[in-house]
Amino acid sequence: MRGRRWALDFALGLGSVALLAHVSWWVLRRQNRRHLVAVVLVAVLVVSLAAPPLARAQGSVMAAIQAVLNVINGVIQTALHEINDVRAALNNFYQSVTWPVELIRQARIEVQQMMSQYRNLMASILRMNLESATLPIPQALETLIRDHRVDNFSGLAQAFGNAYRTIPLPTDASPEDRAVADIDDALTLDNLKLLKATDDATDLELQAADSIENAAAQAAPGSTPFLTAAAAASSIRSQALAQKMLAAELRQEAARMAHGNELRKHGATFTAQLRGVLVNLLQHN
Amino acid sequence: MKTRMLSILGRSAAWARNHKLRTAALVLVLVAFMPHAGNGQFLDPCCAILAAGLTTISNTLGNVVGGNLNSILSIEQSISNFEQQVVWPVNLINQARALVGNLQGTFNQIQGLSQISVNSATLPESRQLEQNLLSHDPNQIAQTTAAYDALYGTVPAETDASAQVRDLIDMTDAAAQTAMKRAIEIDALADLELEAAGRINQSVQNAAPGSAPIVEAQAGAWLIRANAYTQAATADLMRLRAVDLADSSAELKMGASNTANLRQGLINLLEHN
Repeated sequence: MRGRRWALDFALGLGSVALLAHVSWWVLRRQNRRHLVAVVLVAVLVVSLAAPPLARAQGSVMAAIQAVLNVINGVIQTALHEINDVRAALNNFYQSVTWPVELIRQARIEVQQMMSQYRNLMASILRMNLESATLPIPQALETLIRDHRVDNFSGLAQAFGNAYRTIPLPTDASPEDRAVADIDDALTLDNLKLLKATDDATDLELQAADSIENAAAQAAPGSTPFLTAAAAASSIRSQALAQKMLAAELRQEAARMAHGNELRKHGATFTAQLRGVLVNLLQHN
Repeated sequence: MKTRMLSILGRSAAWARNHKLRTAALVLVLVAFMPHAGNGQFLDPCCAILAAGLTTISNTLGNVVGGNLNSILSIEQSISNFEQQVVWPVNLINQARALVGNLQGTFNQIQGLSQISVNSATLPESRQLEQNLLSHDPNQIAQTTAAYDALYGTVPAETDASAQVRDLIDMTDAAAQTAMKRAIEIDALADLELEAAGRINQSVQNAAPGSAPIVEAQAGAWLIRANAYTQAATADLMRLRAVDLADSSAELKMGASNTANLRQGLINLLEHN
């Protein structure tokens, strides 16, 4: 833009010099007076039209400045005031309604108070000794089934065998009775092992709950979604474990019913055999 | 040189006296082409007005625009400080993330506990049924009936038991087998839930405060699902117990019926004698 302007000024200057030289030559050479006067008048007229003196438009400059001032004092000032008001209201809303510091502090204190009021109390209730057996063999079994350990299953099977006896020898019971006794014992032991594992998992869940609650006592509104999401994930796990326990309970209950049903089937077989024996006996008499 | 200059001036003056009109025309042309004088910035009244106007604009911009912008900046800084120190403090967010990472270790332990083998049967038939029941594999449900029948036997033949007894046996077997099959399903579902919970926990560790509520919502949905599965399992357990209770009641009724039949038989026998 600036380069183009400079080129224009240069061209105008060059033209003016050429015109001056040309007109001067005419003035010096023309013999006819009328021609001379005409040429001079034309040259003066052209120069006056082509390069008029600078206009002094003082009134329009003042108007332009005033217009700019009006825009600043009107539209811009109003807009800035409104932005200021909105941001101030938002700030006030955040601090007094959405995240009031005092209520955040109170919530943290409430969490701490509940922790101190309930945590140890509930833990002590859960830790109360419930063992009730009086004789050595039941005592050993009872201790094993309530010890929350998963590394002594063989000891559990041994103690279970001591308390409830092992499967009879093939010479002492029918194969059906031995099989049913074995599955009864197996499902019982399965559940006792599962419960030991579940007790251990329950301890871990309680630890997780304590950790989440500890963190909640120090959390900020922006960090709590992490804790609530972790707590929800923990609840899913807890539900999954509860389902596994229900599944085990279903197996056990089903086996108990199947056992009773097996005895009924056995009874029907015995009755049929007895009827056959009696018919044979009567026929022989 | 000086003499020559004086000579030129003398001749020019003589030419001007002889050509008065041409001289006047030449002077007029030179005046017309004379360059205009520039306007000085300090003395020109137009520039002074412009300068005063620009100063006023500058002052107004400073007071009106600058002042308000400073006020807005102050509020923005206050909001920014509040959000960074009270609402979303980075150190507490990182602490929460770290806690979630630590919990993952605990949850892995829990998952490990749920996968411990608890098989205990010793005889072939009971071992086969137990293996099927503890398989956690829904594809093995098809083999449950065969393993069950091998261990507990089938419904007696029509010649060996009354229709009533056969019905009872069949119903009880059906309830027991269904419960066992349901137990396999529930184990499989619970394994998938544990897996999903692990993935959700991983998502929480990688989340931002703004995206964590999305993970939280997903976890909430999974929790509802888990509750539904627990309800389904509880429902099956209740059904099983209901069938068991009905079975006990049927035993009582059949006993009463058999006693009545026996009494009638004895009366008939005494009458014949």
